[in-house]
Amino acid sequence: MRRPKLFRWRAIVPLGLVTGLLALAWWALLDRVVERVVEETGAYLVGARVDLESADVRLREGRVVLRGLEVTDPSAPMSNLFEAAEIVADVRLRPLLERKINVDTVVVRGVRFGTARDESGELEDPSPQSGLIAREVSAWADAVRVPPLSLEGLGRVVDAAAVDADSLRTLVEARALAARADEVRTTWDRALAGLDPRPRIDSAEALVRRLQNTDLRGLNVLGASRLVGDARATISELGTLGEGIDDLSRTGQASLADVRTQLAGLAAARQADYAYARGLLELPSLDAPDISPAIFGEAAIAWVRPVLYWLRLAEEYLPPGIDPRRFRGPKRPRRAGTTVTFPSAASGPRFLLEYGELGLELGGEGLAAGAYSARVTGLTSQPTLYGKPLELVARRAGAAVGPSDVAVRALLDHVSAPVVDSLDVSLGGIQLPSLDLEALGARLVLGEGATQLRLARSGDRLGARWSWRAPQATWVRLRGTASGDEAAGAAQVGTRAWAEELLWRTVSELRDVRIDVELSGALREPSLSVRSNVGQAVASGLRRELGREVERVERETRARVDALVDEQVARARRGVADLETKYVDEIDGAREALAAVRQQLEREVQRLGGRLPGGLRIP
Amino acid sequence: MFTLLKLLQSLVRALHSEGTPQQVAAGIALGAALGLTPLLSLHNLLIVAAIFLLRVSVPGAILGWLIALPLGFLLDPLFDTAGSALLIDAGPLQPVWTAIYNTPVLSLSNVNNTVVLGSVVGWLLLAFPIFLLARAGVRRYRATLGPRIERSRAVRAVRATKLYNLFRLFQP
Repeated sequence: MRRPKLFRWRAIVPLGLVTGLLALAWWALLDRVVERVVEETGAYLVGARVDLESADVRLREGRVVLRGLEVTDPSAPMSNLFEAAEIVADVRLRPLLERKINVDTVVVRGVRFGTARDESGELEDPSPQSGLIAREVSAWADAVRVPPLSLEGLGRVVDAAAVDADSLRTLVEARALAARADEVRTTWDRALAGLDPRPRIDSAEALVRRLQNTDLRGLNVLGASRLVGDARATISELGTLGEGIDDLSRTGQASLADVRTQLAGLAAARQADYAYARGLLELPSLDAPDISPAIFGEAAIAWVRPVLYWLRLAEEYLPPGIDPRRFRGPKRPRRAGTTVTFPSAASGPRFLLEYGELGLELGGEGLAAGAYSARVTGLTSQPTLYGKPLELVARRAGAAVGPSDVAVRALLDHVSAPVVDSLDVSLGGIQLPSLDLEALGARLVLGEGATQLRLARSGDRLGARWSWRAPQATWVRLRGTASGDEAAGAAQVGTRAWAEELLWRTVSELRDVRIDVELSGALREPSLSVRSNVGQAVASGLRRELGREVERVERETRARVDALVDEQVARARRGVADLETKYVDEIDGAREALAAVRQQLEREVQRLGGRLPGGLRIP
Repeated sequence: MFTLLKLLQSLVRALHSEGTPQQVAAGIALGAALGLTPLLSLHNLLIVAAIFLLRVSVPGAILGWLIALPLGFLLDPLFDTAGSALLIDAGPLQPVWTAIYNTPVLSLSNVNNTVVLGSVVGWLLLAFPIFLLARAGVRRYRATLGPRIERSRAVRAVRATKLYNLFRLFQP
């Protein structure tokens, strides 16, 4: 039997042709493939659509040119986070065989931020992981509590029903005090009844009288001796009774001190009840630290949000160490699975940009309008393998437009844990943005000014301060028609119109505006604080204008609390007063009577202690 | 419908090709790789090249592919689990994966994906049993049902077409 040949030599040519055709198709589709990869990877990272107009891959030159890149802002799908007109990257070819992208240089031209989109960039079916960071930052922003600044409550009639008697501490404590006074009194009565001093005092007084009326000359030795013996025994009994009364007195004093302390505590409870009742009425706080966040809280959140987003993004995709990392597998009809990367110390990073130059244009009328050039070095997905921190430096490029003073420097050291990031941005002479301040019903046009952001992060801890200075700010009214004292006087106190007039009058004269935003604490949930001289001005203005109104409402609230608690407090006071009276009447009375009769007895015994007629001693 | 027709066509061609039962069975075993593992992977290029260059039955390979394709979708959760066990949970294997991941060309093989690795390993384990089963099946068919179908009018009509002559070029 003939053994079949192993190779099908005739098939080599057709197979070669097919392979050639496939290679040609791959070549023809390479640009499109790169386009899709950029769009899909970008959408995964950002959590919103990433569009690329075209990709031009020139393998022989090792150059990739991307045009018309638009990255949607995940929190505002109708605008772009940024867009770049052209990106030219010089890519090393050999690492591509290891599925690694090593870019020697990249030049990015025409970068613009916050541009409008023609259509929504929201993803139709985002994976659970895509845009996770953006969602987490949004969740943090939503959780930040911006205190409300509402003055409308001032005009409301104090709603007595809003103050619930059962919630008042004073009532609870007054009831407890009354009960305690009753309990002390009962204990006291029982102990006093046990001692029962009155009959013994009466008996001693009778003995004193007997002794006083006794003529020693009429007694024999035996009779005199018995009489003195009775007196001495009574003195001893009175001593024991006195000790018992002293013990009762000490206990009574302690109990009395206790109820007196409780009585004094009612005043503090009443103050707490005033505060509780005031809280129910939602009266505005007139302190500057409360008012500044109410005015600028929303704007501050919007400012720091992108900072947190980019920090988190850098943390997620520029991690220290060379541990394997997991990603969702590629999109395909089959299950995507999990793709694991295995970086090696002996090999290069998966993505590396050694040197990049960016031409930036920041907004036409926005925060920092102007042309900039930026230089980035050492941008890599595995900083540990690269061994050097990422550095970004930006400077002003356009002479005619934009800020007159720019310094941007970022250093992201993720080579080893803990990661250390620092960011220092200083822009002077720039056109600052306008802020619609809902709380004030006004737009603050900051005009030309300066802003400075200093940020330091080490591991999980973050500290940042963002300052804004606008020496020539102006205000535009967004609500209300009339203005001035006349209108404010015409509006009914406590109405929205009245409140708006009041606030407008307070802030409209303010020109020099300073705002300081601070972030501190854990990177994932930093605490936000806002300070501003606007808040201080509004606070002092409110204090001046609203003081009387606030006092009136507070007075009514206090009256309501007093009406609810006074009866119980009076009962408690009576209980304590009764107790004090009883103490004075019974304990002190018994003690004084005891002391007096004992003193008399001792005097009589001393008198009888002399000698009987004839010089006989009484034994 | 088209897939079903194609399946039947492949079945007939494979079983009636002039190849030996071993060649048909080898074609089916190789073709199964295309169906069991994600198609657009580097190893499948090698499989396709092997199917064409080695004297295995091409219709057999197509048959193996078409049969294994739905199985591949069905077994994906299993492949994913197996791949996770090998890639993520098996610590001692990490140096192997690190070496593959950082070796030029090999790193393009996608074996660092749980489904790809699980399915490739699954195919490697199943390839020989598939070969043995297919060989026995072909032998039995050719001894019983085959000759009658070979003489049927439909088969003779197909053989008379020019397309069939082109197809013969890839016969073992």
